[in-house]
Amino acid sequence: MKEQERAETENDQAMKLAPDEDLMLEVRNGAGETLGVLFDRYHAPLYNFYSKLTGDRTLSEDLVQEVFLRILKYRQSYQPGTPFRAWIYQIARNARVDHYRKTPRHITFEPEMVAPVMPKDSAQQTEETELLHRALMQMPDEKREILILSRFQELKYDEIARLLGCELGTVKTRIHRAIQELRQNFKQIERGLAPREAGPAVVKQIPPRRFGNEV
Amino acid sequence: MKCEEIGELLPDYLQGSLKTEQDDLVEQHIAECADCRQEVAIWKKLSLLPVEQPSAGSRERFEAMLRAYQTGRNDKASAGFERPKRAAVWNWLRSPVGAVAWSAALLVIGIFAGNYFGNRTATHSNTSQDEIAAMHTELANMKQMVVLSMLQQQSASERLQGVSFSRREDQLDPQVMSALVHTLRYDGSVDVRLAALDALSRHGAQPQVHKGVVDALQEQQSPLVQVALIDLMVEWRDPDAAQRLRNFVQTPNLNPTVKQRADWALSKLN
Repeated sequence: MKEQERAETENDQAMKLAPDEDLMLEVRNGAGETLGVLFDRYHAPLYNFYSKLTGDRTLSEDLVQEVFLRILKYRQSYQPGTPFRAWIYQIARNARVDHYRKTPRHITFEPEMVAPVMPKDSAQQTEETELLHRALMQMPDEKREILILSRFQELKYDEIARLLGCELGTVKTRIHRAIQELRQNFKQIERGLAPREAGPAVVKQIPPRRFGNEV
Repeated sequence: MKCEEIGELLPDYLQGSLKTEQDDLVEQHIAECADCRQEVAIWKKLSLLPVEQPSAGSRERFEAMLRAYQTGRNDKASAGFERPKRAAVWNWLRSPVGAVAWSAALLVIGIFAGNYFGNRTATHSNTSQDEIAAMHTELANMKQMVVLSMLQQQSASERLQGVSFSRREDQLDPQVMSALVHTLRYDGSVDVRLAALDALSRHGAQPQVHKGVVDALQEQQSPLVQVALIDLMVEWRDPDAAQRLRNFVQTPNLNPTVKQRADWALSKLN
């Protein structure tokens, strides 16, 4: 009994250290539960990818689930030797595109979507974070995406090039343009917000719940 | 050096993958050029954006999905008519009689292949559309299971997520619907009940949803939910609504605001 338990923990440990690609091959060969280890590794990065891209948390969580569902569904199409990270981000991008094909966006950006105020930050930093978030959200999707991929998802430029299906040089040019645009947006917002109201935010009175317009 | 040339180096500079000489060139330029300096600064500033944590329910949802998927697969495997059948066909094809029939069939196929060639792509896309349709059904089933399991969670925020997850589907599955109606009636949290009502309000065309919502009024204790229910009944112009409301306003110790709302609703409905 003890022997078996020890063997199991050893197995768990080995799994935690195994490269993504080996784990994915196990999933491919039918060991669906191994996907849990990959989930632990990737769900937070993917969630951040989506939440920075869409500004919508519920949607981001749904999309993360969708990615892992697709991995199960299409596990046979995973080719040995393919870097898993590239593969999962490919799935992640497709999942988002498909989502917006089904449910087109009505809202591109709303101030409410800005990350909540983090108490430990100094006031100035919080404001900068908010400005930055807005500047990022104002960018077109493709530019925001390439910035997020390179800055937050720790993908190398050649990985991004493969993911987007373009040349390495193009990726660099695009990243540079995206940075330029982000800086412009940031400056504009900063100027626009210069005479910012001090004091606590206005608490909006919660309107009575209504269904439709007619009450 | 011009900004353009520096711009080409900048992405590599930011990832720290430039050679020392080029690195120096960029740094020199940045020291002199405010525009390029700001570009580097904004890139660095991006680290201010917080790393967000997915909700605790995320892992559970994943596990529910995994279980649902594996159960679905096991069911298919244990049904297992496919394999023996296939093996039998294969053996027959390899037998001498089979071989003759097979060759004849190939000949016929060969003759007609030309005629059918034009249509072939159309047929092919039909099959893959069938496959996609089947996948969508499977996906919808799985989503229902996830919703149902989330509505039974201990924590209100997870049940709330279950409700909001149920809204992602255009079609309301009967099981999910009755779970939502149950949530609307008996959930301990006002927020979850309101969310369930909101989710149900999108499916007013279904008579059962109507009934569930109208029935829920009598048992509600929370004025917020009561008012929301009354509003929805007015909007739907439910045939039973007037009678129900007349009974409802007789309830002793009714919250004055709710009573006012109910009176208003009655005047609207009559």
